[in-house]
Amino acid sequence: MIRSYKFWIGFSMIFGLILSSLIFSVLFDSHVRQVQILYDDHMEMIGAAPFQPSLMFPMGTDALGYDIAMKVLQGAKYTLFSVILIGFLRVLVSFMFAIPLAIYMPEKIRGNLEQLLSAFYFVPLTIVSVFILTPVLWEQLRMPGWEEYFIFPYYARVGIEIFVLTILVVPLLGSMIGNIIASSLKEDFIKGALVLGASRWRIFSKHVMPHVWPKLVIVFFQQCVQVLIIFIHLGYFKLFFGGTDVDYNPLIPDPPVSTTNEWSGLIGDYYNLIHINPGIALGPIIMFGVAIYSFQLMAEGLLQYLDSRNVNVKRNKKKNKLSSVLQEKSVSIGKFEFTERVKSEVK
Amino acid sequence: MRIIKKLVLQLLLTMISIILISGLPGLIMNKDVSAYVDKIAAVSLEVLRLDKMIYFNQGSERLFLEDIWGPYFYSLSILFGALCIAFCSAQILTWGTLLLPIFIRRIIKNVLTFLESMPDLLVFALVQMGIVLIYKKTGLLVSNVAALGAESRIYLVPIACLMILPFVYFYKMMILMTEEEMSKQYVETSLAKGMRRLYVLVVHVTRNTSEGIFHFSKSVLWFMISNLLLVEIIFNIHGITHYMYHDFRPEMLAACLILLVIPFFLVYAAMEWIIMRFTVRGRTL
Repeated sequence: MIRSYKFWIGFSMIFGLILSSLIFSVLFDSHVRQVQILYDDHMEMIGAAPFQPSLMFPMGTDALGYDIAMKVLQGAKYTLFSVILIGFLRVLVSFMFAIPLAIYMPEKIRGNLEQLLSAFYFVPLTIVSVFILTPVLWEQLRMPGWEEYFIFPYYARVGIEIFVLTILVVPLLGSMIGNIIASSLKEDFIKGALVLGASRWRIFSKHVMPHVWPKLVIVFFQQCVQVLIIFIHLGYFKLFFGGTDVDYNPLIPDPPVSTTNEWSGLIGDYYNLIHINPGIALGPIIMFGVAIYSFQLMAEGLLQYLDSRNVNVKRNKKKNKLSSVLQEKSVSIGKFEFTERVKSEVK
Repeated sequence: MRIIKKLVLQLLLTMISIILISGLPGLIMNKDVSAYVDKIAAVSLEVLRLDKMIYFNQGSERLFLEDIWGPYFYSLSILFGALCIAFCSAQILTWGTLLLPIFIRRIIKNVLTFLESMPDLLVFALVQMGIVLIYKKTGLLVSNVAALGAESRIYLVPIACLMILPFVYFYKMMILMTEEEMSKQYVETSLAKGMRRLYVLVVHVTRNTSEGIFHFSKSVLWFMISNLLLVEIIFNIHGITHYMYHDFRPEMLAACLILLVIPFFLVYAAMEWIIMRFTVRGRTL
């Protein structure tokens, strides 16, 4: 059991959002309330849409009177599921990429390869994904016949979006995970296992994996945060998850809308209202903030838990074995040198 | 010599990957690999002969390099300014924070986790609304909230928007790394010798954390370049991403990204060399 209140707070927020969204769609068929004009008891009009955030409408309503809080609730499952899926795929693919990198490559080649892959630090993900995904997600217009169409069917659009958002980070993430694996391969107990005749697979599954997988889980949470940020950016550029429905009506075109009410669509729809009705525009963005905070809390809580667990293990070892003291000395040679240098400078 | 060889190779790979990526939308649209290869070749030719590259501005053809320098340096100054201010203020505040007692530090870290998860769009929105609110209440316009046309230039607001989140990232990372470094034995030794805490912090600990912070700053920069696009569009700034976003041809994307990358690449190479030279790691090599 993970003993960390931070982790469980984050977990329950994400889980609660998904669960309530699912309940909303199963029991209430995701029916979004629409209130265009509000009357008081004497049937006198006291207000018209868009409404500011109030007790009745927690996040206000949009210009057509749809309740934004309900839209957010409806969209939560799409956004959060896709974020978790993309985050998971990112870690999985990078891990696959990292295994041969860490185990079969000699140290020198790996170092050079890592240097080369760090070139990807200079390829900004938002710009590139906006550029690649625009033709995929933006509804096109076929001129003769005035026909609106997508180049790809719905599932292909979702698939391409997930693929692009996954594959663009694999070089960086892969070399990072490769480093994690390689550093655990350098531990002393690996040498011990090798001496005792363990096969490569056994070392990997029994000795490396127990050290690596908790770190992978933390990387997974961090990647979920990254994906959420990308979704915000794509939403601002009106590229919504699963496609943007563009109205090419020449007279009074409707604004581009998302078909499923997922959150990046809501951001794109309402951000222009920022100066007129800030309360309405900020609602979906704040929900993104809540989701990011929950993932951060989960990552941090897990990290703290792992740290405290490791400390306990180390303490027990010190009580039992003298050898750990020896080991520590050999590790700290670098710092030893440094303290020497501190002395000489003081003189 | 080896460093220079490595650098050239790295720069080349960055350019190649940018060019390869720039052709991808066409590949997805047409599903035609041979057209993709042709496009890549055309883009690489254009990028190699950058001085001949033309673009369309309000219907007329213009030389790309003639027009790009002003917006280019404008964008660079915003980006560099934000990065420098974020880094320096985070470093100074970290030194101050590390002198505080541990329970205050814990509170600060929790607040930082909260701030860290603010979406960048929320930060921009709050800055915009804040300026308008101050103007409404006091009649004092802190800064223009949007640039009008290509000639007017605003610095304060975009730099402020761009620096807030990187500042939080740097600050939190520095506190974590410095705390880890402070628990090491050489710090104990020097404190026991009677050296002032601030002196140890500034002179010794910072030097040892600098390498980690430097590697971390690469991912901050990665995030900032993406944000630059958003900031320039939200505040209607006529910078380099204006060309990128409004032209939307693969050649344009490749040329702009490469132009944007090169100065940072050089700065990072120089920094890496300096750090290699002046830290313990460099001495042992």
